[in-house]
Amino acid sequence: MILDPILDIFRGKAVTIPPLDGAFRPNTKLDDAPAFAELSEADNLLTAGDRLLASSGNAVFALAADGTVTVVETFQSRVTALALSPSGELTVGLETGKLLTSGKEVALPADINCITALAYGQDGTLWLANGSARHAPSQWAADLMEKGASGSLWKREPAGGAFRQVAGGLAFPYGLHQVGTDIIVAESWRHQLVRHDGASGAATTVLAHLPGYPARMAPAAGGGAWLALFAPRNRLIEFILQEVHYREDMLREVSPDCWIAPALASNRNFLEPLQCGAIRTMGIHKPWSPSRSYGLVARLDADMRPRFSIHSRANGTRHGICSVAERSGRLFVASRGGDCVLSLDAATGGF
Amino acid sequence: MEPIVRLENVTKAYRGVPAVKNVTFDLRKGEIHALLGENGAGKSTLTKIIAGVVEATSGKMFHKGVETVFASPHAALEAGIAMVFQETSLVPSMTVAQNLYLGSEKFLNRLRGTYISAQQFLQSLNFPVDPNALVATLGAAKRQMVEIARAVHHNAEIIIFDEPTATLTPEEKRHFFALIRRLKAGGVSIVFISHALEEALGIADRITILRDGELVITDDTSAFDRDRIVAAMVGRSLSGQIYGQRDEAKLRKPGRKVLSVQDISMSNVVRNNSFSIFEGQITGVFGLIGSGRTETFKIVSGIYKRDFLRGGAIELDDRPVRYLVPSEAVADGIVYVTEDRKSEGIFETMGIAENLFGGLLAVGREKAWVINQQEMRQLSAEWTKTLNIRAINDNARVVELSGGNQQKVVIGKGLVQKPRIVILDEPTRGVDVGAIAEIHQIINRLADEGLAVVVISSYLPEIMNLSDRILVCRQGRIVEEFSPAEATEEKIMYAAVH
Repeated sequence: MILDPILDIFRGKAVTIPPLDGAFRPNTKLDDAPAFAELSEADNLLTAGDRLLASSGNAVFALAADGTVTVVETFQSRVTALALSPSGELTVGLETGKLLTSGKEVALPADINCITALAYGQDGTLWLANGSARHAPSQWAADLMEKGASGSLWKREPAGGAFRQVAGGLAFPYGLHQVGTDIIVAESWRHQLVRHDGASGAATTVLAHLPGYPARMAPAAGGGAWLALFAPRNRLIEFILQEVHYREDMLREVSPDCWIAPALASNRNFLEPLQCGAIRTMGIHKPWSPSRSYGLVARLDADMRPRFSIHSRANGTRHGICSVAERSGRLFVASRGGDCVLSLDAATGGF
Repeated sequence: MEPIVRLENVTKAYRGVPAVKNVTFDLRKGEIHALLGENGAGKSTLTKIIAGVVEATSGKMFHKGVETVFASPHAALEAGIAMVFQETSLVPSMTVAQNLYLGSEKFLNRLRGTYISAQQFLQSLNFPVDPNALVATLGAAKRQMVEIARAVHHNAEIIIFDEPTATLTPEEKRHFFALIRRLKAGGVSIVFISHALEEALGIADRITILRDGELVITDDTSAFDRDRIVAAMVGRSLSGQIYGQRDEAKLRKPGRKVLSVQDISMSNVVRNNSFSIFEGQITGVFGLIGSGRTETFKIVSGIYKRDFLRGGAIELDDRPVRYLVPSEAVADGIVYVTEDRKSEGIFETMGIAENLFGGLLAVGREKAWVINQQEMRQLSAEWTKTLNIRAINDNARVVELSGGNQQKVVIGKGLVQKPRIVILDEPTRGVDVGAIAEIHQIINRLADEGLAVVVISSYLPEIMNLSDRILVCRQGRIVEEFSPAEATEEKIMYAAVH
């Protein structure tokens, strides 16, 4: 209707969640896949030569071909991001906001305190996503509930030197994927992927209106990328995000575990907020019920259009997918909510 | 135990087509008997025979051991049998109290006394309905409450409830079930038709399942579980002969996304419903009556309005649209072919040509300012041939055509508008088997030509046979999507009722 843009000023613009169909048609491939390795809160995956590394808590682990897990290195605080330089140096971001390369601390500008993703270019350029200016990475739910948009994108030239801010005002940048000299950033709270020009930082939205909150990306063989979405968008949460006073009261008075907010896992505590559809009826949890957590990985083509996706639905357990990595024709999926790393055929996505 | 009502080998045929075939059914005193089955299984017809609404074509009915035929619902009511209809039978221009006492008025009625006693009676049932309100002003749920109250008020020994809970809220359902238990304790026998299996499992003493007009099974509720009920409801022996399973290789691949519906809501009928429609594909939509599937697509085609606040969004070719009148949707290439062709789809007393031309008028594509008879005849000849519409002569009125040919006229009326998205609601309802195959061919041809086709149907084999993707609607939203290659009737029915 022609008057809608005017009426939207008074009644509020419709906030809608795109349906899970087309390339996002639900399936149970993540739940059907066997666990490659059991790893508590498996977070960031990284292929390092012939090794597969995964972060969990304060440590980085190596995952052998048979799924055996061995500790590579431990740190003083939780590991929040991993990257491998072209020369093979392991770069690690920590919950405290520190950045370590080969164990040595790298000097960072004071504005960086929430390292959520790291990516090296072929030439040695290091890209860094700073999720929020106000919160640590583990406090991401608070950043969402405050409708934070204080994230930033930083770049360090191959020659070294200091980090330079390329873009600011980002709503929790959580994933990075280098394309030529440009970088694609997953902006979680805006449910979109934005391409930033490597030199000027000029932004172009390449994929918007995602059905979940995008997290890290990984290059895919044959072009394009894999995108992990760590939680689903949900009507109740979208509603809460429009209710300012309710959110303020909730943040002030309710324990973070019980916020009406996205989660990496659910159904673990009877105090958790549930929508009526998420409650078991006659002993059965319906796969299509509204849920705070979900497992979702999307395969994007070279133009960043979704081709297909693999899911763990509301009644599944492999939720909270924050990172994926492709190696030797296998797709490895880290499920923080499912405490495991999964392995699927990368070409077909398990179909 | 001697049944209070017994039907023996009852058959009811409409124009030779049996809706109920050789059914033997008994209802015991003081029992709650659930009657389950798909849409069109014959549940309503069977109960209408008991309540005197329709007369059985053959077979016998016994009431308290005496062979009986009720000439009218009033006669059944006199004998203590009341029926609460799916579509309420209240008089909209009268108040709730007047409806409650309709048929049992005294010679002189004191209006105030009537209202007071109606108020007390409704309160005793825990129904929050104002007895002074005109029925026309009530919503569906409150009308249903008045209907139920009327049945209870007549002190009937047998009450038949046809889908009583479809429009009630959970709280109202709780009151309703408490009322049913109270009635049962008072010795009233209850027949309870519902699509909600958990309701039947929860409240009924015995369950009878009908399928394609035939009785499949009657047993104590304790002998049933959800899976057994669903299997009995859908196990269709003939379906494999008439409709085959789709091969994955033959499914059409989705084309461009033309329509994106996101979180549309309309009162409590359509609730945050989201789905997409793609070109070159048939999207089948299955859902039981009351699931909101028709309403959803009527919103898409501008017939109904979505909620003004938090009503969601509809995007056609990535462009947000909100239609005030259906003609705007028609102009954008969206055509809705109604499920109720008699009242919404055709001008019965007009000819085929006039009906088809009516479709052209609706979209403003007629070539001349005045109706050009030659253009109308040409259009009619073209579409009569395309759709293989068979009539006695060229001037035959639509009312004189068979159901199948009437349906083809309704479809043709939409297709002359050269749409991009065709929504066919129950396209083969009331159509004979031969015409069903022809209509299916037409629908397949539309998808092959690249149109986005939506088929809404309550008939599972039709959905599975026609669709390239199947959406299942329940309680006002799409809950599940299946590929026809992986879908089974049990899976679809499970999603639709659970």
